[in-house]
Amino acid sequence: MENLLEMSSLFLQQLVNGITLGGVYALIAVGYTMVYGVIQLINFAHGEIYMFGAFLAFAMVTVFNVPFFMAAILSIIICACFGIVLDIIAYRPLRKAPRLAALITAIGMSLFLQNLALMIWGGEIQSYPREALPAFFYQEAIAFGDVTITWIQVFILLVTVIFMATLHFIIHRTAVGTAMRAISQDKTTAALMGINVNRVISFTFALGSGLGAVAGILVGLYYNAIFHMMGFIMGVKAFAAAVLGGIGSVPGAMLGGGLLGVAEALGAGYLSSAYRDGISYGVMILIILFKPSGLIGRSTTERV
Amino acid sequence: MKQLLDKIPQRQATAGLLICVLILPWLPLGDSTNYILRVLTMAMLYMVLALGLNIVPGFNGLLDLGFVGFYGIGAYTAGLLTVHFGISFWIIVPLAALNGALWGILLGAPTLRLTGDYFAIVTFGFSELVVMTMRNELWLTRGPMGLPGIAPPSIFGHEITLDWEYFYLVIFLLIVVVFIVSRLQDSKIGRAWFGIRENEIAAQCCGINLIQYKVTAFAISASIGAAGGAFFANWFKFIHPDMFKFWESVLILCLIVLGGLGSIVGTMLGALVMIPLFEILRTVLPQELFNARYLIYGATLVIMMRLRPDGLLPFIQDREKKAKQAAERLSDYLAGTRKPEQAIPVSSTKE
Repeated sequence: MENLLEMSSLFLQQLVNGITLGGVYALIAVGYTMVYGVIQLINFAHGEIYMFGAFLAFAMVTVFNVPFFMAAILSIIICACFGIVLDIIAYRPLRKAPRLAALITAIGMSLFLQNLALMIWGGEIQSYPREALPAFFYQEAIAFGDVTITWIQVFILLVTVIFMATLHFIIHRTAVGTAMRAISQDKTTAALMGINVNRVISFTFALGSGLGAVAGILVGLYYNAIFHMMGFIMGVKAFAAAVLGGIGSVPGAMLGGGLLGVAEALGAGYLSSAYRDGISYGVMILIILFKPSGLIGRSTTERV
Repeated sequence: MKQLLDKIPQRQATAGLLICVLILPWLPLGDSTNYILRVLTMAMLYMVLALGLNIVPGFNGLLDLGFVGFYGIGAYTAGLLTVHFGISFWIIVPLAALNGALWGILLGAPTLRLTGDYFAIVTFGFSELVVMTMRNELWLTRGPMGLPGIAPPSIFGHEITLDWEYFYLVIFLLIVVVFIVSRLQDSKIGRAWFGIRENEIAAQCCGINLIQYKVTAFAISASIGAAGGAFFANWFKFIHPDMFKFWESVLILCLIVLGGLGSIVGTMLGALVMIPLFEILRTVLPQELFNARYLIYGATLVIMMRLRPDGLLPFIQDREKKAKQAAERLSDYLAGTRKPEQAIPVSSTKE
């Protein structure tokens, strides 16, 4: 009986950790999925924007002594602009080029930004200084038997839910959201209806990159680790989450992120922590093979 | 410049170049001979790899981000077979190539149905899983301790140990690979590949079995990568999971993009320029900056795609342009807006 209790509390603890992680995956995954929705491109550099989000907040806190929340908001805004610039420099000129060219550009951008961060901040793992953060972050908020939830986990979940709700509102209740949905269905017809396609694509990049920066800062807080490779690993996993939910679908990205976070936490707890990252890759490959449209994505047919 | 290049008879030029390369170890270069030979061996190994990768993005227009996975599979196949069973190098290379092809088919057959971007991400996932397996399955690969003590290859009982011997060995491998790839390029398979690259749906309408040709391309590419890996294992005599990280794939992709996607000569020149360049940077730059050398690869990919998507070489661009014009003329003719005698270009089809 006691053994059973212990087992179930381990399970619950991993579940809590998984849901926290899943929220962050979902925040990054919507960035991939929205961009894919409007221009059918895997923006490999999205993970790097997430990494820059964490680093910019870190730089502002440590170098300029900006208060943490202020730094976070500034970093999110800068990253949103950064997303627009990335689109204009790298992807816009290739809109009509073959897909291969755009994909190679995306990979090149990702590599470029990653090593730019390595040059600026070095290869060591950095962390936000504790004194700049509110003291309660790392204390436990709720203890339920052996299961503990820290304030930081509560904070991450809260922020995720707020941003997701805002995003849902923007996509479904505003003019620009309607334009985004129209472009994802048919770019040419959308343009004929008077939508400024390039401006809406820029907005999509800004929205996705801003959310990516939010996720970067949250992960930096959660794991206490900011390093130049963080974006790449996380980016691929978030892409896996987007694929799991169905690429191009925003609720799908949220669902996929949550599921992948839980699967990874449980897998790392029970199966093998050495293959922790492998679980996401494995899930991604299996989903792509057997159900490429994802859990709730629409299936696309190729048009001639 | 172009006219000058056209005037040189190709066969003689190739033969001359080959002789120049072959006598290189015997030139009086002093103490630096061995260093130069090692760098050139490395460059030629990358030529082999780049030619192998080129089949997928260059000939078929699909982005393969997992090439280094096959390179690693080949290296570990060769390393483990040499260390545990002492099998001869000359048997190991074909075995490694076969193993690479096997994995290529296993990965390619289900994934090549997908659109290009899904394929790219699946191949990436595959190569990461390969590295993860190398690192964690200690019973097989010794994991992060690496696999040392791989015996050198031998020929007629003579062990190959000297730099010039490896230099000739890699030239031999390169010639075999160039022969295979260029014959494939001009064959029926090659034409089908180019058809798939230019327009998948049109190719399918012409009766090309897309999956079959794509899987063939992927398997051949994988087996060349694995053969390169086998050579690497026997040359370096030590392999480690970190040598097969994802960035190697991007580096090889970078070589192809520089030389021009789909061009055999361009691919080789790309490797010949880039690999020694990075050897020079390694000695010139401080460690910190050298670690960020991938910055250059990334920037190269972006800039090339933006400004010169057909590669740096003028005559390759020219050839591609002619081929495109020919295709346009042909489609104009089919649409009835052009007379038949203008439709088929007379001089530019010869490559």
